[in-house]
This record gives sequence, C-alpha cells and structure tokens, in this order.
Amino acid sequence: MITAKHILQKPPLTHETLTDVTDLSLWAGQMLLQHGADSQRIEETVHHIGTGLGCDWLDILVSPNALIITANSGGEFRTKVRRVTRLGVNLAIIDSINDLSRRIDHGLVDRVYIRAEMERISKTPALYNRWLIVGMIGLSCAAFCRLFGAELPVTLVTFFAAAAATFFRQEMIKRHLNPYVTVMGTAFVAGVIASTATLLKIGAQPHLALAASVLLLVPGVPLINAAEDLLFGHSVTGIVRGLTGALIALCIALGLLLAMGLMGVSGL
Amino acid sequence: MNPLDLLGVVVQDAFWSALAAAGFAMVFNVPRRTLFGCVVAGAVGHAFRTFLTKTMGIPIEPATLMGAALVGFVAMFFARRLRAPASVFAICGGIPMVPGLFAYSAMLGLIRLADPNATSEVLLSAVVNLVRTGLILAAIAIGIALPSFIFRREKPVV
Repeated sequence: MITAKHILQKPPLTHETLTDVTDLSLWAGQMLLQHGADSQRIEETVHHIGTGLGCDWLDILVSPNALIITANSGGEFRTKVRRVTRLGVNLAIIDSINDLSRRIDHGLVDRVYIRAEMERISKTPALYNRWLIVGMIGLSCAAFCRLFGAELPVTLVTFFAAAAATFFRQEMIKRHLNPYVTVMGTAFVAGVIASTATLLKIGAQPHLALAASVLLLVPGVPLINAAEDLLFGHSVTGIVRGLTGALIALCIALGLLLAMGLMGVSGL
Repeated sequence: MNPLDLLGVVVQDAFWSALAAAGFAMVFNVPRRTLFGCVVAGAVGHAFRTFLTKTMGIPIEPATLMGAALVGFVAMFFARRLRAPASVFAICGGIPMVPGLFAYSAMLGLIRLADPNATSEVLLSAVVNLVRTGLILAAIAIGIALPSFIFRREKPVV
C-alpha cells in the first residue's frame, strides 16, 4: 500500500538523474506488467522504486497495454509513456523485481547497480527444462483427471494427451504464433489424443480425458489478476484481463470441439 | 464415513492436487526456492475443500471459498518466510481448484443448445454448469485475496 511516509523533504535531483530514475521505474513496471503482476503490485513497486531513488513523489497509471509515470523532484517533473506488449507469465521475474524494489526502498543499492540488475532480470532464463515441463504438465492434467474420479487407464490417456499438447504449445510459442491461435491449436492436439479414450471405450467415463487434458490451458493468471484488480479498484485493467481470460476459454472450447468433431466423439 | 477412510481420501486428494500445482508452477517459471511452497499451497487448499465437502456436506462453492482463503493464508506464510510475493504461491495454489469439469460440461451443454430438438433440460443443465463454473472461479479469486484484505489495510494516499 502506498503510504505518506515517502513525502519527505528530499534534495532535488538533477535533470539527468531524474530522467534516469523515471526510466528505471518505468522499466520495472514494464517487466511486471509483461509477466503477469496485478495492477496494485505494479503501482506500489514502481512508486517505491521511484521514491527510493530520490523522487519526492511518483505517480503511475496502469492501463492494460501501456504504462504512464510522472516522477516529481524539487518542483521538476518528468513524464513518460511506454507501450507494453504481453509476454508469457514468468513469476521468477516478478519475484526478482519485488526483491530489487525492496533493496532500493531500503537504500541499499545505487542506480548503476540497479540498471545492471534489471538487465540481468530481463534475461531471466526458463528455470525448468522444457522436457521436464512436458512431463510435469502431463502429470498435472492426469492428476486433474484423477481428481475428477477417473480410473487409471483414462488417466494414462490424459497424461499422453496433455504432454503432447504441451510439446506442441512450446513449439507454437517458439514460432511466435498469435496467442489465441496457439491456445486453439493446443486444445485441438489435446482433444484429438484424448478422444482415443472414448473411441477405444476405455473405462466407464472416457470423456474425463477430454475435460482434463485441456486444463493445461486454463487462463489462471489472467482470471485471478482480473479478480484482484477489480477488488482493488483497478476496474479497467480488471475488465480487460477478465475478457482476455474468457477469450482464452472460448479458444479452448473451439479447439476441443474441432477435435471432437473430427474424431466423431460426442464427449458425453 | 469412518475417520480412517476419510484420512485416506484427503491424503490422496492432497497428493494429486500437489502434482497439479507442481506442473503449473513450472510453466509459470516460479523461482526454485518457492516451488515447494507452491506445491504445499495447492495440496492444502484442495484437500481442505474436499474435507469440507465430504465431512460437512458443504456445497462446493462455499467450500472453494474457504479452501482458497486457506491458500491465501498459506501463501502469506510462505511469502514472509521466503521473501517472495504472496501471489506466486497463491496463483499456483489456486490452480487445483479450477472447475475444469463444470466448465467442460457447461461448454458441451451450450453447444447442444444449437440442436433444434434441444429440450429445456439441456438448457437448464448448461446454465447450472455455467453458473457453478463462474461461482467457483470467483470463489477462488476472492478467497486467495481475503488475507490481504485482512492484513493490509493502511490508508492509501495515491
């Protein structure tokens, strides 16, 4: 929460310093917005970075695909706008920026170090091997299937469907396909493989494989962030994120229906 | 249900939920030191929901709200312990409770409405599933935000 403790008499920053502080704060906000932080966290973090680096005050406007900040110091102010395109969810980056902002707030680091650190954070690699993710997502969806009450054979089909779909999803992401097309394609692959459970009449409820194998696509982060934004009064970003989540859900349904139609499976 | 059977059900439930949370945590690229916390949050939340529905016969929607609130508290605990944003644990912990089967049934129900011979039962089941999906999703989101409403109440200036 942004509190009044930052309104203190601070020495005014020079022209260059204020520009640099504005740039660093905006960069941090951009990384947070790109990788799945909620609006409240973006506002607070960027404010703390700006004031921690010597601004008297820093205001930020979070919109769904742009950030505007104004940094004030000694009667001078600097405003900057940046377009932000959404990238995938990356909670390691959010954690790193969070940690950096805490160190800035405590006055532990200088701007040269911060710039180097942000450079490093922006290049955070994938922490988990892609094949490990393929296997783990297979297991995750199999676990969902199990939680729905399916028998082991259906769970096994779900594992293979979800793992194969994850592989295709990674390939599509690598080729920078439109995110909604990626979701639809992934749901299609999962649906085609999961349909075999119904075609081969495996178990009593083979349709559970269809329901569980597309769960790897659930728009968990957009939907949870949408609710958080709405609850904290960031209505515009909340509505846009909710709509994004709904659109992803629609794409899952379309991809799955396409697969079911092709395989001649009713899904019941 | 006798206590031993119940324990078995809840422990199995926790195991599968942990697995579900683990996979998603990796896709979201959570820092390695937080992975364990994410898995625990996922297991605890879903197992608590199952416990509530099995023992007290609480409907799944309010049980989800309570399960998600527990996820929120667990997330806050790990966040203080490991100095990481609580949302890392909360997002991964909420995943196992996602109403996948209700969403799937709602989708199929809505599609079956396009059939000219569709009956009012089809409409009813589609709407029921849709509403339940929405309510459970809302319960997850509000539940995991609850702890921050309780603990973070400083007066905002901006």
